[in-house]
Amino acid sequence: MNELKGIAQELLKAAQAAGAEDVIADVVDTTVNQIRFSNRRIDVSNWWNEKHAVMFVAVGDRTISTDLRNLERASEAARAVVELAKRSPRNKNYFGIASGRFKYVRSRADKQIVNLRDPSRFVHDAIRGAESEGAIDVGGTMFVRREGRAIATTGGALGVDEAASIDLSVRAFSQAEASGHSLCCTSRLSGLKAKEAGQRAGELARKARDPVQGEEGKFDIIMEPLLLGSLVNSTSMMMTALRVEIGTSMFANKIGERVASKEVTFVDDPTVDSISRRAYDHEGVPTRRNVVIKDGVLKTYLHNTSTAKKFKTKTTANAGPLVPTLFTLANQPVPFHCVLVPGDWKVEEMIADTKNGLYVNNTWYTRYQNYGTGDFSTIPRDAILRIENGEITGPVKNVRVSDNMLNLWKSIDAISRDAQEVLWWEEATPPTTLPFTRARNMNITRSA
Amino acid sequence: MIDEDIAESVLDSAVSGCSPLLAEVRMERSNTRGLAVKGGQVNSVMTFSDTGMNVRVVLPSGIGFASTNGVSKTACAELVRRAISMAKSCRRRTPVWLSKEPPIRTNWEVRQRKNLADVSLEEKTKFLQSVDAAALRTGIKVRGRYFELKDYETESYFVNSEGSRIRSVLPRLRLETYMIVSSKGETEQSLKEFGNAGGWEKAEEWDLEDFMVDEVKMLKKMIDKGKKVKPGRYDLVCGSEVAGIAAHESCGHPMEADRILGREMSQAGKSFITPAMIGQRIGSVYATVIDDPTVPGSYGYYAYDQEGVRARPRYLYKEGVINEFLHNRETAGQLGLGSNGSSRSETYMKEPIVRMANTFVAPGDFEDDELVGSIREGVLMNSFTEWNIDDKRYNQKYVSREAYFVKEGEIAGPARRCVLEITTPGFWGAIDAVSKKVGFDAAECGKGDPMQSMAVFTGGPMLRLRGVTLK
Repeated sequence: MNELKGIAQELLKAAQAAGAEDVIADVVDTTVNQIRFSNRRIDVSNWWNEKHAVMFVAVGDRTISTDLRNLERASEAARAVVELAKRSPRNKNYFGIASGRFKYVRSRADKQIVNLRDPSRFVHDAIRGAESEGAIDVGGTMFVRREGRAIATTGGALGVDEAASIDLSVRAFSQAEASGHSLCCTSRLSGLKAKEAGQRAGELARKARDPVQGEEGKFDIIMEPLLLGSLVNSTSMMMTALRVEIGTSMFANKIGERVASKEVTFVDDPTVDSISRRAYDHEGVPTRRNVVIKDGVLKTYLHNTSTAKKFKTKTTANAGPLVPTLFTLANQPVPFHCVLVPGDWKVEEMIADTKNGLYVNNTWYTRYQNYGTGDFSTIPRDAILRIENGEITGPVKNVRVSDNMLNLWKSIDAISRDAQEVLWWEEATPPTTLPFTRARNMNITRSA
Repeated sequence: MIDEDIAESVLDSAVSGCSPLLAEVRMERSNTRGLAVKGGQVNSVMTFSDTGMNVRVVLPSGIGFASTNGVSKTACAELVRRAISMAKSCRRRTPVWLSKEPPIRTNWEVRQRKNLADVSLEEKTKFLQSVDAAALRTGIKVRGRYFELKDYETESYFVNSEGSRIRSVLPRLRLETYMIVSSKGETEQSLKEFGNAGGWEKAEEWDLEDFMVDEVKMLKKMIDKGKKVKPGRYDLVCGSEVAGIAAHESCGHPMEADRILGREMSQAGKSFITPAMIGQRIGSVYATVIDDPTVPGSYGYYAYDQEGVRARPRYLYKEGVINEFLHNRETAGQLGLGSNGSSRSETYMKEPIVRMANTFVAPGDFEDDELVGSIREGVLMNSFTEWNIDDKRYNQKYVSREAYFVKEGEIAGPARRCVLEITTPGFWGAIDAVSKKVGFDAAECGKGDPMQSMAVFTGGPMLRLRGVTLK
């Protein structure tokens, strides 16, 4: 960690000496093992290592972000970035970076995860778990992630952080069109329940056997945390200030208004022990618990320093990565770890209390006709179980939720007391901690 | 410059370390530049250079893939050690089979008439600001107006243990536009992508100012005058944008052999198509869908795939019949076939997997206006906004961004957010006429874990579908 901190300080010093006024040097060393498996066997084992420095430089209102991928001559690279910044066009949307005397609550990465060399036995445990429930086909991924970070800024930030986590995703099939999906996400090796994750996927696949064509109409939907994680993906991005500013958010101009049912309290909290715990945001501001929706009322957007000044408020410590990726707007605030505060229901009580509904394991491909209004559809996948008069009566298939996302959040009337950490592929991101929820009277459609 | 000696040395280490079925090394060097303009003002500027490499080792027990940024002797030794130990740790009971492919020694490059690296930030800023100004000149209220431009050159050196040595240079550029048009208290959104392989001359061919004016006026018309379609059965003419998304989603994806064989089962999913369905009918005789990486200047262009297999057009659905899957060496080997050059990866950091390139419906012999002119009562859907499809690629939905009622062969006013929710055989089976003129759109296709965003074209001519249900 000291090496990363030294690089961050060297970059900062060199950039300042070259004439930079605002500098962020965010140094990251990431090592990831991944095992991909399908057809009940391991297909490929991947290993990636990336050591690099994401750097932001401002000279007056001329700004530039870069990713320094070669850190052997860091000072020279930093000076070159400053020269590029001086030649950049003026950025009227830039309002500075955070400054202050920052103190960080540093977490320690689990050494057992850091030192884990061959995770393949957990994959085999998961496969056997699913098979024990009757699965004829099992696939998934297991990630073992380790990351060291250091940051130095002209705003006074100087910090280090580390993280390690495991996320296991298991999808089991009992028939060609009957599947179940389960996750286990943990920041402690002792929390990894691979066999149980496999069993849960297998159990859901068994319950999904012999599905019949689903019907169109209005149904109450009981959503597993995995499904809700996919919906939180687009919902939470629409809470960020840049999305609000450019109009691609159903939350625009709704601070103080009801945007969800009174059951819903939604927070972004990277300070809790989770797979996405982090000490500071990408400007070096200590992370904090932000209540975005309280009892159904929208309280704030997620901000970095620049967007906060534009919105005449303070940063929420949600500054995002400074180098954009495709489909990611550059330099925008981001959610880090979304939490839907649990309620007091048991899942069995939700089912017993539902007259005409669907219990849904997972979904994907959530797309919007209009982000400004929230009109969307999403396609449930894996186990979709019909509920009639308080009982599960059998699986269905080929249905789509075609509704409005604000209406969905306003229709949530039951939230479970139990919650799970969720991270799955690109669908259920960012990492979340979510309970089971029920949304009343959702519109279900299907192919003609 | 790429240090080819290092790549050769890493390959030698991999081969001597484990006697693999196959060992590959890819070294890449890239320069990337990005610019975002929001509401006519610069919002962010980004640039970076990257050099890195990967090693892929295929043993009978499994596949090991290791990658790192930076190239040093220490890093290279660690890569080889990791890749071999990973391949061994897979411990497969059924061995990996790869298709046999000839060794290739070649160089290929997409040339730039106007080098991307030579275009100044000032010029690019003016370029995006002129697009923004075009939207404002309409006098229509347009919010958002967020434009993100990215361009890059990737130089690559690929070597494998079978004797292939391939050098390539591939420049690409891409623009993503977001905007929201408001009128009478209502809004419609437009999210659009432009992209090509080539130099800055491609950006100048996009005709963005005309696009922006037409798009803004069209969306206002949809808000002001658009009427909902009364649910029922109609004839439908799909414009090239809609034909293209259908070609990509309900032909290209279900014809990816790794999906068919289950390798993507826990992410992007499987496919309703099985290996035994080659030769079965999926659509009418007018349904021919091609995936062709060799379309010159296309966003999905490449000459050789990332396993060193020569690219060629693949006829996926041919005259309505399931004809040929998209293969890499792993899937082709499993089915006893040869690869058809469909192996791609986003960067050297990630494993190459089966991907589409430029997927489009083959042209027919009708004029565009003949298709509309032949409809008594129906809808012309030129473009889409919301869309999705299930993970077996059977149930899809397209909601119109631009659509019009058609009565007695004439356009009869805007239809707003017309919904086509249909099965894959339902879509391809309903086509009874196809026009001559093929149009293309750039897109980023998502697949893989970790997600790999892949440059593609989607496209097609106009299609006439008879008697489909619209809502």
